[in-house]
Amino acid sequence: MNGIWKLVLLGAVMAILLLFALGLKNDPRDIPSPLVNRPASDFSAPALDGNQTVSLSAQRGKWVLVNFWGSWCVSCVVEHPYLIELAAKTNNRPDFVIIGVDFRDTPDAAQAFLKRHGNPGYTHAQDPDQKIAIDWGVYGAPESYLVDPNGTIRMKHTGPLFPGWFEQRALPLMQGNAK
Amino acid sequence: MIFSRQLLRPLLMMLMLIGSAHAEVRREDPTESMVRQIAKDLRCAVCQNQSVYESNSELAKDMLKIIRDKVAAGEKEPAIRDYFHQRYGDYIYLEPTGQGMNALLWSAPFLGLGLGGYALWLALRRWRGQATKEAADASQAPPSPTPDAAMQSRIEQELKQVEM
Repeated sequence: MNGIWKLVLLGAVMAILLLFALGLKNDPRDIPSPLVNRPASDFSAPALDGNQTVSLSAQRGKWVLVNFWGSWCVSCVVEHPYLIELAAKTNNRPDFVIIGVDFRDTPDAAQAFLKRHGNPGYTHAQDPDQKIAIDWGVYGAPESYLVDPNGTIRMKHTGPLFPGWFEQRALPLMQGNAK
Repeated sequence: MIFSRQLLRPLLMMLMLIGSAHAEVRREDPTESMVRQIAKDLRCAVCQNQSVYESNSELAKDMLKIIRDKVAAGEKEPAIRDYFHQRYGDYIYLEPTGQGMNALLWSAPFLGLGLGGYALWLALRRWRGQATKEAADASQAPPSPTPDAAMQSRIEQELKQVEM
């Protein structure tokens, strides 16, 4: 009888340690978004350059990468070269478009950022009081959402997009949808 | 020194008078209490365990502004809480809700207490059973067993050796 209880106790302690070890490996910033597989909420905001309006619904029928950033964001500097590369690579794809949402920022600071780190060329929506960002459940920058042609959010990526993200993460979803 | 002390008292009196003259009754906007009530239970997503109401971060300030706008627009409290819950998930509430998997979280301590109590009751019952059984055995057994003849003679032999 005693032996059984010792085993039970040992098992319980091991289980707690295992859960603890698994928990340590989790990225505390990577909180699963409840918005994945939900319809993306539309936005319509003044563009960073010029006086047009940027709206998500205007891109219905395409896959849209919505990238939340700000000139104040350090990790966005790390991410920026890949965004330039991705924009150049996907420029002639008819089914894919990138929209930047520049939140909690001023147009001047954002323009200066693009001047210093290079301009990927796609349009950016201005979101000075982060209404769009909060509406999209954004915690910080950079955060990216992939929206499918029907306007449903299919994926959220917290932190900088890494080189190869498009091929590894986006393309499988896009091809899966085409079938 | 004396001068400053003499000066201090009237100065303090004056300050108190000025203070009370300016202390009008501040009437809070009635909607503000609702804003506070909602914001106090929403987690500031970028802070360490602070509510949106207490935090000074930009995100919390903008969230507070959105709550104010929604309250001003006449939205009800559950609808506003739901707005943030839909976007940020369970994490946004400082106090976990009692629904879904969280019900397990809330009930686990009481479940544990119940199980522990049951185990204790079982153990106590067994100990008491053992104690009464031992007592019964003790009363039935002869008070002191008398050694048989062989043992008696051996003990006497040993005693004799010790004496020699």
